[in-house]
Amino acid sequence: MSEALLEVSGLRTWFPIRKGVFRSVVGHVRAVDGVDLTVRAGETLALVGESGCGKTTVGRTILGLEPAREGAVRFEGVDLAALAPAELRPYRKEVQIVFQDPMASLDPRMRVREIVAEGMRSFGLGKNEAERTERVAEQLRRVRLDPDAMDRYPHEFSGGQRQRIGIARALAVEPRLLICDEAVSALDVSIQAQILNLLSELQEELGLAYLFITHDLSVVRYLAHEVAVMYLGQIVEHGPTEQIFEDPRHPYTRGLLAAVPSVDPARRSAEPVVLGDVPSPASPPDGCRFHTRCPEVFDRCSREMPEVAVRGDRGCRCFLPRATEA
Amino acid sequence: MRVLEVSDLVTGFPAGRERIHVIDGVSLYLEAGETLALVGESGCGKSMTALSILRLVPRPGRVEAGKVLLEGRDLLSLAVPDMRNVRGAEISMIFQEPMTSLNPVARVGKQVVEAIRLHEKVGVPAARERTLELFRRAGIPDAEARLDAYPHQLSGGLKQRVMIAMALATRPKVLIADEPTTALDVTIQAQILELLRELKRDFGTAILLITHDIGVVNELADRVAVMYGGRVVEEGDRSQVLGEPAHPYTQGLLRSMPGFATAHERLAEIPGVVPPPAEWPAGCRFDTRCERVLGHCRSEAPAATPVGEGHRVFCHAVASEIGEAP
Repeated sequence: MSEALLEVSGLRTWFPIRKGVFRSVVGHVRAVDGVDLTVRAGETLALVGESGCGKTTVGRTILGLEPAREGAVRFEGVDLAALAPAELRPYRKEVQIVFQDPMASLDPRMRVREIVAEGMRSFGLGKNEAERTERVAEQLRRVRLDPDAMDRYPHEFSGGQRQRIGIARALAVEPRLLICDEAVSALDVSIQAQILNLLSELQEELGLAYLFITHDLSVVRYLAHEVAVMYLGQIVEHGPTEQIFEDPRHPYTRGLLAAVPSVDPARRSAEPVVLGDVPSPASPPDGCRFHTRCPEVFDRCSREMPEVAVRGDRGCRCFLPRATEA
Repeated sequence: MRVLEVSDLVTGFPAGRERIHVIDGVSLYLEAGETLALVGESGCGKSMTALSILRLVPRPGRVEAGKVLLEGRDLLSLAVPDMRNVRGAEISMIFQEPMTSLNPVARVGKQVVEAIRLHEKVGVPAARERTLELFRRAGIPDAEARLDAYPHQLSGGLKQRVMIAMALATRPKVLIADEPTTALDVTIQAQILELLRELKRDFGTAILLITHDIGVVNELADRVAVMYGGRVVEEGDRSQVLGEPAHPYTQGLLRSMPGFATAHERLAEIPGVVPPPAEWPAGCRFDTRCERVLGHCRSEAPAATPVGEGHRVFCHAVASEIGEAP
């Protein structure tokens, strides 16, 4: 296992709810409510959860796009929240993001060349225009696009090709961590496979670390070294990928895995395990956040919030984690 | 008995002086009470097939040839008012995005009551009673209070349950479900799939399920038709198509799903991208991406080759293979 590149501890990101003429704060949406996670150099951590669980907000807070209310985001041991804007700047280059919708995240009026070179120019990479052009060509080759593409506009490309451009833009400033926020969710399966293969090749070539934010568990198993499962602003279980899939301990993880439709024609899934809807993060339930939907709930769950019990390289936030079967 | 039979359907859009056939000779049938899944990636024509059946193709497109028989009656030759009576009464449709298919300013119960009273001579109290029964049947908790809710007060899963209740209110012969769970989270998707399975069993409605998700196909379908480039390329029982796929496209599609791969193994890709309809090859549409392409694939559209009981494939390579075998 390699060393920690990014460490998030006790992270809270709350959004105020304002009401009335004076826009006074009447409550908070607790989008991220006490999250710890570690991304190791050159490895992939998958952050998995359903819509509204706060996974995207974790990514945005790490990037400094949302202010953290509490907690620390450490990059190689340096707490980013404690830095002045000027001191923070070099770190902005180290962490880049690839978004879900490549149509919405590329400026339709910019040529590919400008899209990829913008970050380089901002960070002073490449001495002159000619050198930057050479570097843009290199990035495009890296994502398996023809360098001739640089003089075209985003609308001239298919969804998969646009996602490659988004990756080239992110890689252009030579980051060490790439946050992929549902980066393959909008793509058709045959194209999704191309992009997933590309991401794993790039990881090998460049030693990149990924924080892979997704709702799709099947993608996670293929790509991730470690998995963190998120529910209503908290991590409920984390551990090495194969262990999470083979021996899920938290009832939510088990329900999530059981809910994935089977693709094996010899086997159909059983009845749904997790019933009902996700409660609102503006008024999360008392006690364990998952107790309103948990099939194994008992009286203590609605009164007390379980802490994350760490055993070895795994952690689980539950009073009754399923014991490892011998 | 075949409730619905579509034969040699052609739907075209004008492009300059020419017409582009986005549906090019599609034939399908639906037995009473069975579920046929129409599978394919974006732009393959699966939704357009559904719209053609309902005669809802957006202008300037139109159905140019073929037959759509509902219990022997050709829908394509019905007068407009008669067709209006078919939609929503004999064939209902549910869509991917339940938010945009419900009226945001009307209470959901009233919307279902309206749908019933549009097609049947019943009073408001009777229709309301039936709506309540349908809401309960669709698994809407606290159904009586939910009758008076507005769409924005319901979660995505509940809205889809309302849509399903509305679609079944008139006891249609055929239900067209266009990506009914695509916008939902996996735990909610599992609940809706279970509901559709129950309703299929209890109401005996024939379902035309349109989806890109092989997992959803496996959970719900009896038979499967795979579409590519406006044509059906393979058709058969669920276990045949998913278990012994014969068409190179179906094979590629199944192999590229991450669910089939083990950790950190390279995913199989289908090279290239789906060409836009204007650039579809003259012969086999999959010709540009196929690894088993033969000399005449480019010029001749393949005919159906039977490869099993009710299992047909449209592929020259498969045809020649079978032809050579004794």
